Amino acid sequence: MAAGGLAVAAVLLAATGLGQAKLRRAGKFEVQQARTAAVLSLGKERGYEFVLYAPNDRVVALYAYRSREVKEDFYTSTYSIYAARNQGDLEHGVVRARFGSLGEVSLRFRPGGRERRDDPPPGCEGGSEVVQYGGFTGHLSFRGEGNYFHLSSAKGEAYIAHSPRLRCGRGEALEPQPRSLRKYVAPTPLLPDEHSIALLYSSTRSHGRYVGITAAHPEGAPPGADVQLAIIEPRPGMAIGHGVYLNGPPGTLLTSTPGVHPATATLAPPAPFYGEAAYSEKADAWTGNLGVNIAGSQLSLTGPEFDVHLCVVNPLRDRDGCDFFKAEPPPDERPARPGWALR
Amino acid sequence: MRVRQTAVGVLALLALSCFPGSARAEVGHGRQWIDIDLEGTDGYSIHISVNPRRHLILQVSKDEYFAEYMTRDALVETDRVKTKLLGLGTISVRFHPRGPVRHPTLPGCGKKHPTVQPGVVRGTISFVGEREYTQVKVREAEAAIEEPTSWYCRYGVKFDPDLRRTEWVSKLSATGEGVYFLARKYRPGVIAGTQVLFFAETGEAFETASGRRLPLTIYRHVAVPAPAATFPDAHPENMIVSPPPPFTGTGTFARTPESVFTWEGDLAVQFPGMDPIPLAGPGFEPDYCLRESGCIRQRIY
Repeated sequence: MAAGGLAVAAVLLAATGLGQAKLRRAGKFEVQQARTAAVLSLGKERGYEFVLYAPNDRVVALYAYRSREVKEDFYTSTYSIYAARNQGDLEHGVVRARFGSLGEVSLRFRPGGRERRDDPPPGCEGGSEVVQYGGFTGHLSFRGEGNYFHLSSAKGEAYIAHSPRLRCGRGEALEPQPRSLRKYVAPTPLLPDEHSIALLYSSTRSHGRYVGITAAHPEGAPPGADVQLAIIEPRPGMAIGHGVYLNGPPGTLLTSTPGVHPATATLAPPAPFYGEAAYSEKADAWTGNLGVNIAGSQLSLTGPEFDVHLCVVNPLRDRDGCDFFKAEPPPDERPARPGWALR
Repeated sequence: MRVRQTAVGVLALLALSCFPGSARAEVGHGRQWIDIDLEGTDGYSIHISVNPRRHLILQVSKDEYFAEYMTRDALVETDRVKTKLLGLGTISVRFHPRGPVRHPTLPGCGKKHPTVQPGVVRGTISFVGEREYTQVKVREAEAAIEEPTSWYCRYGVKFDPDLRRTEWVSKLSATGEGVYFLARKYRPGVIAGTQVLFFAETGEAFETASGRRLPLTIYRHVAVPAPAATFPDAHPENMIVSPPPPFTGTGTFARTPESVFTWEGDLAVQFPGMDPIPLAGPGFEPDYCLRESGCIRQRIY
């Protein structure tokens, strides 16, 4: 399980944008600060893989991830991320955090004896990164919303990585890690949209909660659409992110063709979604019974509170396609009314 | 014997392997070609050539139609050819030189003069096209043995640079299993008197019921000029093409609400001696290009 769990952690880190972003600054050299990170693979329950991840000494996040092949070449991935402040001293292997009413962890790392040393990455100089393998002991208790999962054991393979302060060439150091918990649960778009010729983006924000759904059909692809859902919600002392990525079958996204006005679209992705939504440019409306079963509850994805944007392009007339997706602010920071035009 | 449709691209490679350029690796085994020109019935021209790799290629042409029958197990000696064309005919001849050896000058080949020995072949040449669309039966025919100096400087085959390959302004192609359709529109003046060229080609290979590959492949193509109105480009996301005979029906290229580009319709091509071959439908991958803008490619899975 450990290897699989660590692989899942890597996928999730990529999905949430906490990977290897490079820093671009003026000047000849830059400093990459010392950092300690830890990963604990907690195994599988109710189809979810669980990983506890401390990306630095300030933050602890619990990842729940499930992926399955619905049918050949059609995948559905669902995840939840719960991030909280680490009250422990990760430098000394201590992780301590409260996740509101959902759970808490109080753990100490126990080295198993195996150790690995990695040279600094290309473009940087300094000491080696030391990775210690072992396990965590202590208390871990976590219940997903509505009890959609329950963890009560900290058993599982783990490692803790100590990276020293490094001196790097310009642009070679990793980005400083964010302070906002929200950043740790916000996904970066996994679905490439630069080759998409039909894009639908619907989102709403209220009291800090963001819900956004994107559906895209890449040029030349068979019938169907890629769909991404992101939900981000702040809670006192923590942040929660839920998401779905899937390859939808034929019928998932139907739109009017380029130049047709008023433009229309319907979105009917498969489970964990249900129902369908309709967009009308004429009425500027997003209606229907589209919703999603996620994290133990149902969430409606239509209504007047959603801002909807449809971009259908002719690949011969505008190779760049839908520029508003290329501006690419994080999903929850996309402007509410960017004023882009239908084409 | 059952017929297996084969990707045209594969056949193109096979055809290329017949050219003497590929035979350069066979230096020491001879680089001679035998060429025989014949007249078939119903106005068809027939050209038989045997390459240094012992492939016999029988080419049939008339107006815009061209077919090539290639067999790979010809018994070839310096002056003798013997092979069967799987129910289509037999060629068993011996070459007899007649007249002096020539070294003709070829355009674009500079001082590379091939060596050509004129003569006649005697024996049996019998070819009957599918459903007898043409046939030839002779005991003797004029022929030549040629030793070219390079793959493109061959007396028996003319290699002309074809502007039609590059000077298009828009094109639509559709690739199916063993069949390929292409429409190209050109700037005025590239094609005499018109602007559009429709092209279709098929390739066939054969195998036994047990799966053993038989040594015959057949390649057919037709290229037909047509008026500009037969290939509109007014709206590149929805167009209808309607080529002239030997094509029949129409093909429609369109974008669906799924943003998938389809190529549908009853478009077909009628090759001599063959049933009409469909050129549109869900099994075809369409590809539409405007030279100034780019291409729309739709993959099928």
